[in-house]
Amino acid sequence: MISLAARDIVHGWGKFVFTGVGLGLLIGVTLIMAGVYRGMVDDGKALLDNSGADLWVVQQDTLGPYAEPSSVRDDTWRRLRTTPGVARAANVTYLTMQLATSAGEVRAMVVGVPPGEIVAPGWPPFLVAGRHITRSHYEAVADLASGARLGDVLKIRRHRYTVVGLTRRMVSASGDPMVFIPLRDAQEAQFLKDNDAVRETRRRNAADPAFDRPGVPGLLAAIDEAQGANPWVNAVLVTLQPGASATDVAQAIRRWTRLTVYTRGSMEAILVGKLIATSARQIGMFLVILGVVSATIVAFIIYTLTMDKLREIAVLKLIGTRNRTIAAMILQQAIALGLIGLVTGRIAATWAAPAFPKYVLLVPQDTLAALCIVIAICVLASLVAIRIALAVDPAEAIGG
Amino acid sequence: MSGAGIRIEGLRKRYGSGDTAVDALKQVDMSVAPGEVVGLIGPSGSGKSTLLKCLGAVIEPTAGRMMLGEHTIYDDGWRVRDLRALRRDRIGFVFQAPYLIPFLDVTDNVALPPMLAGVPNAEARRRALGLLDALEVRHRAAAMPAQLSGGEQQRVAIARGLVNRPPVILADEPTAPLDSARALAVIRILNEMARRYRTAVIVVTHDEKIIPTFARIYHIRDGVTQEERGEGRSIG
Amino acid sequence: MNFPRIAPRAVVLVAALLTLLVLFGYVALRSGPLAPVPVTITTVESRAITPALFGVGTVEARRVHRIGPTAPGRIAELAVDVGERVRAGQTLGAMDAVDLEARIAAQDAALLRAAAIEREAVARHDYARSQLQRYERLFVQRSVSEEVLTAKRQEMAIADAARAAARGEVARVRADGEALRAQRANLRLLSPVDGLVVVRSADSGTTLVAGQVVFEIIDTASVWIDVRFDQSGAAGLAPGLPARIVLRSSGADRIAGRVLRVEPVADAVTEELLAKIVFDAPPPRLPALGELAEVTVELGPLPEAPVVPNAALRRGADGPGVWRLGETGVEFVRVTPGRGDLDGLLQVESGVQPGDRIVVHSARALGARSRLRVVDEIARSAR
Repeated sequence: MISLAARDIVHGWGKFVFTGVGLGLLIGVTLIMAGVYRGMVDDGKALLDNSGADLWVVQQDTLGPYAEPSSVRDDTWRRLRTTPGVARAANVTYLTMQLATSAGEVRAMVVGVPPGEIVAPGWPPFLVAGRHITRSHYEAVADLASGARLGDVLKIRRHRYTVVGLTRRMVSASGDPMVFIPLRDAQEAQFLKDNDAVRETRRRNAADPAFDRPGVPGLLAAIDEAQGANPWVNAVLVTLQPGASATDVAQAIRRWTRLTVYTRGSMEAILVGKLIATSARQIGMFLVILGVVSATIVAFIIYTLTMDKLREIAVLKLIGTRNRTIAAMILQQAIALGLIGLVTGRIAATWAAPAFPKYVLLVPQDTLAALCIVIAICVLASLVAIRIALAVDPAEAIGG
Repeated sequence: MSGAGIRIEGLRKRYGSGDTAVDALKQVDMSVAPGEVVGLIGPSGSGKSTLLKCLGAVIEPTAGRMMLGEHTIYDDGWRVRDLRALRRDRIGFVFQAPYLIPFLDVTDNVALPPMLAGVPNAEARRRALGLLDALEVRHRAAAMPAQLSGGEQQRVAIARGLVNRPPVILADEPTAPLDSARALAVIRILNEMARRYRTAVIVVTHDEKIIPTFARIYHIRDGVTQEERGEGRSIG
Repeated sequence: MNFPRIAPRAVVLVAALLTLLVLFGYVALRSGPLAPVPVTITTVESRAITPALFGVGTVEARRVHRIGPTAPGRIAELAVDVGERVRAGQTLGAMDAVDLEARIAAQDAALLRAAAIEREAVARHDYARSQLQRYERLFVQRSVSEEVLTAKRQEMAIADAARAAARGEVARVRADGEALRAQRANLRLLSPVDGLVVVRSADSGTTLVAGQVVFEIIDTASVWIDVRFDQSGAAGLAPGLPARIVLRSSGADRIAGRVLRVEPVADAVTEELLAKIVFDAPPPRLPALGELAEVTVELGPLPEAPVVPNAALRRGADGPGVWRLGETGVEFVRVTPGRGDLDGLLQVESGVQPGDRIVVHSARALGARSRLRVVDEIARSAR
């Protein structure tokens, strides 16, 4: 027996392929949508992976440092370092700001890392170009996504930083590229806004009679000095000694300090569960809508293709074709259409993904899921057409 | 597969029921011998199409008897279980318009009925090519139906009707779209094929060009058949 | 029998579908987790490196002389302004004397009066003494009673005390006068050193309290840089080490200097070491005090050891290491990082040998089963 579906496809291949490609673009959009969600989850996980921390110590009762602001004294790490089970404790600051690079303005997350120890938590785990920060001031390692290149000079607040290294996929939970600078500079950047703001603060202080007393020379200068210093960081990243239990150490820190501690699992729950939950639902809605639209289009196409063939179907029935054979013909065409669409969509999605400003992660599981869903949709969509085809009376082939 | 013929006795078909019932066929008696071509002639609304559909086993008569050779296929009810297989294997159809499957080439159009019956593709195609040869369209075997002329299409359709060697062929206005010469050619082919394959052929027509060719004619009026002798003019 | 009757359009269709499938396969293999990771590699070398320390400091003057009046008063006139060079002993300005001259005159008059009183006391004393001598002689001749002699002795003692008091008063009044004169001399503000006026905080007519600063004068030869170094990696910082100074204002110009001293007390809060850097030669143009200066101190070369780029160092499950190219694939080798220089070279004390080939950059985090694609440079498209 020959495949009627294949013959029909070969006969009307132009219509078929173009319809398939059109459907493919729609499936491509769907895959991109799923990829955007995967990308968001991956951004969150990349943030946690790249920080290399086992525990995040943040301000008491906050969801910091990524989901909420958090401030911790910058000498807290010393106390944590002596907690049993802790291998390293490193201060870190995060500051999301608009950054001017040679490629234009980008939104970036400026991360302050303690200089000296390259493998300390918070440092980028790998580079794609250049080197790590070696000077304790005015050097930066930037992510490729920021558009910065080696040797570029970034202006962050009041200082200029030379880009000495480049990273890839070092992003904040919202997908903004990271820029690493030495911790002390970052603390300053977080606090000292810009020259105008500094001057304005001094002017206010000078105008305040409580600060500018004739009998106490030097008071104003001391206050200005005190206000210019920033002894805060956003979190302390802690790595554990081999064999130490994260929950036990977290418990110990919680018990003896007025701080909140998150483990990797709870941090991921915050990032994935709280930060991107709404976006995920939004994308889920889009996926449902796109699925319905795809199903409708497939159903419509298959319906049209079948309606065009009603006379042939009547003849086929008259000359003794089994219903099964006719149903199979329609079903196979629907599935073939779906498969062409899926393959086209996957290719289109892969080519389109890098053009998106945010990370789009296409995972094989999604393609597999899409395959199953597409086939299911095609089967469902062809049911209407099959019903119509089976209802065709072979007598119609005999005129009058 | 030949030599069966078809016999119909007291066939009736009633559409609907009660007051609105219409008797499309009241009393149909026909008999066609193997190798014979008979004409079935009647005005519109006389019941021609209904009779053809009953013969083609696509609608069920109300009462009567139909026999294909020795097999009773209908006796106040279907006597065969698989009407589809009956149509496929024992009845050949030739239509007013050829109704070839547009997405199959000529060979596969002809080879489709045996393939549907489970004959291997190669064997089915071999049979098809044999018939195409006999019908002198072998040279168009690889063409698609849309590339054929009307006469060629009709010959391919006849080949398809014949390919499973059915004991009976039902031809529904097979010459309607054709000019006189081609119409007569089709009838000649039907006669030839009927003789060669011992097939009973019923040609439903009101084509004045071809009526004189039949040796025997059934007239149908208001659902009643009446047998007449035809001119039996030879063709060709 | 003429079979495979393949229509040209079928060929086209099959070709199109095949292309699609090949593309699909390529896409599946070349993106996502199955794709090989682009990496750059390098060979471990044994070499000496010179660690250096980078710190930021401010230009400051070692000695700042703050000049002001010693007594409250009003500024009469100021002779110099900010930016002027002054010599030792030069008059910078004067305070208004106000009532000082009158007070000196009054003091002079008071002195004259005290002297007169003293003279009167001396006269009384001389008279009392001569009376006493006369009565003593008369008492010896028994011509006066003992009672009279005792009275004369008492008069003598009173006159003596009165004379001493008058003398003391003269000394006091004279001293007061001298104090006022000394004050008059201090009304002039004098420069104690050769230097530069950097601050003039008041203008003439301003009334000042005692000790309020009018001028700040620095010794231009004593300008140095107060620099802070991060404590980590600062081992070896010692006086005498050469330093390169880049002043904010002068961009890339490097000025030679050296470490003068490392402060014995570090900043415990900021975790920094403090050091003073001096210029080898005084800069041709005096930098502004408080200007930021970036200081790089070379700590002296280290002996040869295997050296890797610091970008090659990766976090491992239980410590730092590098990815070494083995015969079959890559393997993670634990290393003990030593000291590094500012150019990103790092000595490792154990783990790799010179000649080992290691991964420097990679487009993704590596695993033991990663397939590598060695490239010269991980392209920007690796995004």
